[in-house]
Amino acid sequence: MSVAETTPSKTSEAPAGTQRKWWEPLTLIFRSGVGTVGLVIIVFWVLVAILAPLIAPYSPLAQDSTAINQPPSAQYLLGTDNMGRDMLSRLIYGSRTILLLAPISVFCSVAVGTFLGLLGGYFGGLIDEVVMRILDAIMAFPTILLYLIIIAALGPSALNVVLAITFVGAPGVARLVRSLTLDIRTRDYIRAAETRGENPFYIMFFEILPNARGPIIIDSMLRVGYAIFSIGTLGFLGLGLPPPTPDWGGMISEARKYIWTSPLGVLWPALAISSLVVALNLFADGLREESTRYQ
Amino acid sequence: MARYILRRLSFMVLTMLIVSIAVFLITEAAPGDVARHILGQFASEAQVELMREQMGLTQPLYVRYFDWLAGNDWRHSRLVDMPLTFVQLEGQQEPQWYAVAEDGTLRQWRMEGGELTEIRVSLDGARERVPFDNWQLDENGEEIFWGVDTAGHVVLWRRGGAAVDTGAAAAGRTMTESSGEQYLPLRRGLLRGDPGISTRTGRPVGPTLVRRLRNSLTLAAIAFAFIMPIALVMGLAAGLREASLLDRSISIFSLVTTSVPEFASGVFLILIFAFWLKVLPGAAIFVSDIAPWQDPKLLVLPVLTLTLVEVGYVTRMARASMIEVVNAPYIRTAFLKGLPYWRIVTKHAIRNALIAPITVIMLHVNWLVGGIVVVESVFGYPGLGMYLLDSALFKDVNAIEAGAMIMVTVAVGTQLIADVIYTFLNPRIRYK
Repeated sequence: MSVAETTPSKTSEAPAGTQRKWWEPLTLIFRSGVGTVGLVIIVFWVLVAILAPLIAPYSPLAQDSTAINQPPSAQYLLGTDNMGRDMLSRLIYGSRTILLLAPISVFCSVAVGTFLGLLGGYFGGLIDEVVMRILDAIMAFPTILLYLIIIAALGPSALNVVLAITFVGAPGVARLVRSLTLDIRTRDYIRAAETRGENPFYIMFFEILPNARGPIIIDSMLRVGYAIFSIGTLGFLGLGLPPPTPDWGGMISEARKYIWTSPLGVLWPALAISSLVVALNLFADGLREESTRYQ
Repeated sequence: MARYILRRLSFMVLTMLIVSIAVFLITEAAPGDVARHILGQFASEAQVELMREQMGLTQPLYVRYFDWLAGNDWRHSRLVDMPLTFVQLEGQQEPQWYAVAEDGTLRQWRMEGGELTEIRVSLDGARERVPFDNWQLDENGEEIFWGVDTAGHVVLWRRGGAAVDTGAAAAGRTMTESSGEQYLPLRRGLLRGDPGISTRTGRPVGPTLVRRLRNSLTLAAIAFAFIMPIALVMGLAAGLREASLLDRSISIFSLVTTSVPEFASGVFLILIFAFWLKVLPGAAIFVSDIAPWQDPKLLVLPVLTLTLVEVGYVTRMARASMIEVVNAPYIRTAFLKGLPYWRIVTKHAIRNALIAPITVIMLHVNWLVGGIVVVESVFGYPGLGMYLLDSALFKDVNAIEAGAMIMVTVAVGTQLIADVIYTFLNPRIRYK
């Protein structure tokens, strides 16, 4: 999880005359072996999430009081949990929860962070100073403490998980975008736009932002992995989604109480979340490696 | 340099102040009532109201914040008209508040059988109980008295005031007394080293926090002692031969171990070592005051989990830094001069390659803190993280505040240390 390493690279500046599609950097991934492995696992989980109602053998909430904490069997392929719910179905629906919440929270933190970064980087001066000081103070704060306090105050819910991750993630994005903006601001086309008398917000969002997109996209990829990591952790600490919702982190913390009677109950959700986060990081790593190779 | 450090320190104080206010406001806004939480759902509304008053929760927010920060005994001693002191006498478990009489004896007051009794503690520790007869007239001509009770409040008693029947409260938490008309809880304030009473446990936060912090630091220090050498060796070895098979394997290994969330790797380790191999205990079970190092077996899995998660990050940092150094012109120069390979590696490359990881690792302390909270929760390890988690879920503002202050100090402090180390390692950098 090395978000901080993503230095502003120059890959985003298309050479004059050649039009590059936004998805072009993504095709690089197939040149990297580990990146491809990551992508395959991600696609697997995305498909599982989309097709959940079709492939899940049971409802994730259906309880079978005759089969509690069962080991895997023909009827329940991965066994059941402490309330007699089918592990496999909960696992499948759990992928929906996490694959929905993570991109939303990343999108929010990137949106907020990009706005603040553009603001500070483009205007500079007092605005920059105030914004960056506040963000520095937030970043100085141990992440886990922020989560604890935010969730403890607002109560655990999907919306509050998104809020907490946005709040924690936005400063990092803002720093990255600010440093990109400081660089791009000095370009001739920005000066041209200023001479034309364009609105500062037009310059920020239509001149600077498109030219900073490369590093922001790569950073966002890294952040999705981080968000899933965080959502899992929050769920595990009991700060995530309220109980009946199938949530991998919450499932682990529930199943951990019965680890001595049914050890496999904690294994499945732990494997699921690990495979997804590892895959996202392999993917992001492959992407970064390939996109910086020919600089 | 001194000015730079001073500026950073004042920034740190400012951060702590902002954080403490923010935590106060957020816990205030949080749903749920602490008094209700303590007394349980079967307590009557009157009991909850009384508890709120005795805890000082009926006072305005800014008064409570200020009391928490700077104490209020110096303010309330005017009411009692005697200096107040917070001392631990022999034979008592915890320090208590007393009023100091002119002759130097300590005084407390207590309603016993409908009569106010004065408890006098003389300098040699002898206690005597005297029926109270020192009522003062207020502006309405009624007999009142401001005194200190045995539970750390300044209390307004009125002669003939009837004691309210409080009844039994939640398990183990009986109400002290309710004979007075007004209760003002006494605080020494954080600035004078007293983080207050935990509303969750009813005991002072300070000693618990110290013990919990000690446990967490033990865990972190042992983990750190494993992480650093392993990670630096792996990272430098990988960076020295970029794109070799060794480099690829180390990189992928570190990427995978870092990516797996702490709670998942903790669960894997418990399953492997405690469940299938049965060689280690799966949960840390600590009898209240036993220091973790007295039973090292319990520490193995938590330390292993932390190491697994953190080692990858440091490895990647060290690798990246080594690659940069190896490609630097002065290394090529050293090669062209014909220096022996190992001399170049040990004398030129490693020394320079270590600068970046060391500082980045200090900045990584935030992550380590987060990892420790999760690891403590996985293994039931009685550390600061668990304490904070429990306190946050209970809305225990004093405990959260104290824990937050410690965490911010650690986080901001290590960043400062990182910057200072950086200037010593790299003389080209000078802060103004």
